[in-house]
Amino acid sequence: MDPLLLFIYIFLFPGFLFLFAYALTFEYLDRRIAARMQHRVGPPFFQPFADLIKVLGKEVIDPDGVDRRIFDAAPLIALAAVMTAYLYIPIVGISPLAFEGDLVLVLYLLALPTILLFVLGWLSRNIFSAVGGVRAVTQLFIYEVPFFLALLAPALMAGTWSISGIMVWQQQHLWCLFLQPIGFVVALIGLQAKLERTPFDIPEAETEIVAGPWTELTGRRLALMHLARDASLVCGSALVAALFLGGPQVPWVISPAWLGWIVGFILFLVKTLAVLLILSSIKVATGRIRIDQLNRIGWKYITSAAIVQVAIVLAMNYWWVRA
Amino acid sequence: MSVLSEMLVNLLRKPFTILYPTEKVPIPDSFRGRVAITDEKCIGCSKCSLVCPPQAITMVANLREVEFKGKVLVRKKKPQVKVFRCIRCGLCQRHCPTGAIIVVPELSRTGTDREVVVT
Amino acid sequence: MTEVIIPIGPQHPALKEPVNFRVVADGEKIVRLELDLSYNHRGIEKAAEQRDFIRVLPLLERVCGICSHSHTTAFAKGIEEIMQLEIPPRAQYIRTIIAELERIHSHLLWLGVAGHEIGFNTLFMWTWRDREAVQDTLEEMSGNRVHYGMNEVGGVRCDLTPAQVRAALARLPLLEERVQKYVGMVNEEETMLLRFRGVGKMTKQEALAYGAVGPTARASGVACDARHEDPYLVYAEIPWEVVTDTHGDVYGRTCVRIGEIQESTKIVRYCLEHLPEGNIRVATPKTAPTGECLSRYEAPRGELVHFIRTNGTDKVERIDIRTPTLANWTSVAMCLTGQNIADIPVIVAAIDPCLSCTSRITVIDDREKKKNAITFDELRERSRARWHAEERS
Repeated sequence: MDPLLLFIYIFLFPGFLFLFAYALTFEYLDRRIAARMQHRVGPPFFQPFADLIKVLGKEVIDPDGVDRRIFDAAPLIALAAVMTAYLYIPIVGISPLAFEGDLVLVLYLLALPTILLFVLGWLSRNIFSAVGGVRAVTQLFIYEVPFFLALLAPALMAGTWSISGIMVWQQQHLWCLFLQPIGFVVALIGLQAKLERTPFDIPEAETEIVAGPWTELTGRRLALMHLARDASLVCGSALVAALFLGGPQVPWVISPAWLGWIVGFILFLVKTLAVLLILSSIKVATGRIRIDQLNRIGWKYITSAAIVQVAIVLAMNYWWVRA
Repeated sequence: MSVLSEMLVNLLRKPFTILYPTEKVPIPDSFRGRVAITDEKCIGCSKCSLVCPPQAITMVANLREVEFKGKVLVRKKKPQVKVFRCIRCGLCQRHCPTGAIIVVPELSRTGTDREVVVT
Repeated sequence: MTEVIIPIGPQHPALKEPVNFRVVADGEKIVRLELDLSYNHRGIEKAAEQRDFIRVLPLLERVCGICSHSHTTAFAKGIEEIMQLEIPPRAQYIRTIIAELERIHSHLLWLGVAGHEIGFNTLFMWTWRDREAVQDTLEEMSGNRVHYGMNEVGGVRCDLTPAQVRAALARLPLLEERVQKYVGMVNEEETMLLRFRGVGKMTKQEALAYGAVGPTARASGVACDARHEDPYLVYAEIPWEVVTDTHGDVYGRTCVRIGEIQESTKIVRYCLEHLPEGNIRVATPKTAPTGECLSRYEAPRGELVHFIRTNGTDKVERIDIRTPTLANWTSVAMCLTGQNIADIPVIVAAIDPCLSCTSRITVIDDREKKKNAITFDELRERSRARWHAEERS
C-alpha cells in the first residue's frame, strides 16, 4: 500500500481522527437513546465533546503516596491499546493491516483497559477504588472466557484467524448471526460486560463504591480513560458487526471502487449503530446484578452457551462447511 | 417484556421533560407565590406580622385613611415584607381581615439582595 | 482479602443525607456494622418551643420534606386533643386526602430510589415521572408541591373547590394503571428479582424484637399500622386494609409499598367522592391548657410519634419528635450483617431513611465523655457565628 494512503488510513480516515469523532458520537447516541427510552430529553449533540475538553482542562490531582508515572501512563496505554485494536477491524472493506491471527491480537488488546483499570484501582490507595479494581478483574475472569469462545467460533467456522478473512468468508456463505445465533447473543452480553455497562457495571457501581477504580482519576487521566472506553465501545461494536453481521463487505459488486467503499462504510455505520441500539436497550432495561450472581450466571449459563456454540460449530464444520 | 415495550414506545414519544426557560411551567390558580399587598385595603392591624413564621413582615409607620366596612378610619402602620425571608406559607393571607395581603400565583423571582422588600 | 473497613458516609453517593456506617467487610461479605448518627442536628424541637401554635406549624412542616403533612397533622392532632376540640368532618376528610396523596408520592419516590440503588435508573425515571401527577394534584389543592401548609390547629387552611376534586379524580385512573405496571415490573423484571429477593431478610420475631415500624415491619408480617391500631382522622369510618407481606426481605418491602400505593389511591378516591359539606375549621382558643399528649400518626415511612407537653401558654413547653427512621435503624444494622457489600445501599434504602428528620440528639463530646443539652439561644449563637464566618469569607 502507498505510504501516504497508509498514513491517511491510520491517522485520519478511517483511523484515529474518525475513531475519536465516532467514539464521541457513539457516547452521545448511547446517552440520547437511553434518555429517550426513559422518557427524558438527554444531552445535546456536543455534550461528550464538551465534557472531554472540560475534563482535559481540569487540574490533575495526585492521591497521596501514589506512583504518578503509572497513574499518568495507564490511561494512555489503555487508549493506545484500543486504538491499535481498531486498526485491525475492517471499517471500509478489508483492513490493509490485516494478517492471519489479528483476531487474537484484537481480543487481547481489548482486554487491556480492564486490566489497567484494576491496576489503577489497586494503586490509588482508596478503599472504593481497591474494591472496584478487584471487582473489575473478577468480572474479567467471568466474562472473558465466554466472550473469547463466542468470538472464536466464527473463526473456527471460517477456518481463518483474520477478522477480514472471516468477513470475506461470510460474504461467500452466510452471516454468522444466522449460523451462530447463540454465539451472537453471548458476544453481545460479553461486550456489555467488557464495557462495564448495566447490568455489568459492578466495578463502578455508583451507589456502592462511588466510581470504583475511576474514583481517584482526575483531569486528563479521567478524560483519556473515558475516551478509551468510548473508543472500545466503537471497537467492540465494529468487531461484533464484522464477525457476525458481515461487516462493511458489500454483498454485490459496485463498479467504481470508491462507490463500493462508500456503500461499505455506510453498511458499517448501520451495523455498528444497530449493535449500539441493542447494547443501549440492555443498559436501560436492566438493573445492576451482584458479583456473586454474575459469577453464578456467567459460569453456569453464559459459558455453557458459548461452549455449546463451539461444539455446534465443530459439528457443522465436520458435516456441512468442510464437506 | 413490558419494560421493553414501554421503552420502545417512549423512544417514539415526545420526552416528558419541560424544558423550563423556553417552555412555561403551568401554574395552578391556587399556587402560593409572590406576596402582594393592596395598599388601599390595609387597615394596619399588624395581624400578618404577628402570624408570619419567619418574621418577614415588619410594620412601618404610614399614615393613611382607608375605608373598612363602609367606615373610614386612619391607619398608622403598614406591612413591609422581606421577600427573601418569606417562605410563602400563606398564613398572612389566611389571617388578614381585609384581604389586603395575598400570595399570588406568580413565581417569586430570585435575587442577591437580602433586604429587598415589598410594601 | 482480609477484613477491611469501608466507610460509607457521611458523604456518599448512595446516601442523600449524612449518616456514617463503618462497614467491616471480609471480601464482599459484611461482618459487622458500626452506625454513627446525627450529623445533621438542626435544633428544630427547641425552635418549635419558641413559637406559638400558628407559627409553629410551618416550622414542623419543615422537619421533613417528604412527609411534611405527617408532622403537622401529628402535631395539630395532639394539640387539638389537649384543647379538646372537635374537628369538622370536612376538614378531617381533606387532611386524609392530603395524607394519602403524600403517602402515594412518598412510596413512588421510594420505588424510584430503590431502583436507582440497584442501578436500575429506568425505574427511577419512570416512577418519578408518574409521581409528578400526584405532585400536580397536591400543588393544585394546596398551592405548593412540597410544603402544603394545609393544617392549622382546629382545621385546615383552605378548602377544596369542586374543580380541584374533579381534577384530582381525573388523575387517579392513570396513576392506578401505572402502579399496576410497576406491580408487573417488580414481579417479572429479572435483575430486580435478583437484587430484591432474599436480601436484608428479617423475620417477624426480629422485626418485633428490634422495634421496626411501618412498611419495614409490615413486610415481615407484623400488621402494625397506627391508622388501624389507633384510628385518627377518618380511618375508622372508611373502608381500607392494612397491607402486609410475609417475605421479610427488600422484595417484601417493595410489595408492601406498592400495595399501599394502591390502597391509598382507593382511600383518596373514596374521600374525594364522599367529601362532606360543612366548615373546614373551628374557632380555637389562643392558649392550650396544661396537659400532655402522645400523638401517633402513620407517616409513609412508619409510625411517627409527637410527644407534646403544654403549660397553659400559647407555646408548647416540650415537643419531642420520634421519626420512623429512628425506630428502623437498629433493624437495618441487624439486616446488614452477613450480607454483600453490594447490598448496603438497597438494604439501607429499603427502610426509606430520612436522616435529617431523625437527627435530634444533643452534643456529645467524645474525648471528655460528657453529654449535655444546649439551649435554643446557644444553638442560635452557633449558627449565627458560622453564618457570619461564611459571610466574611
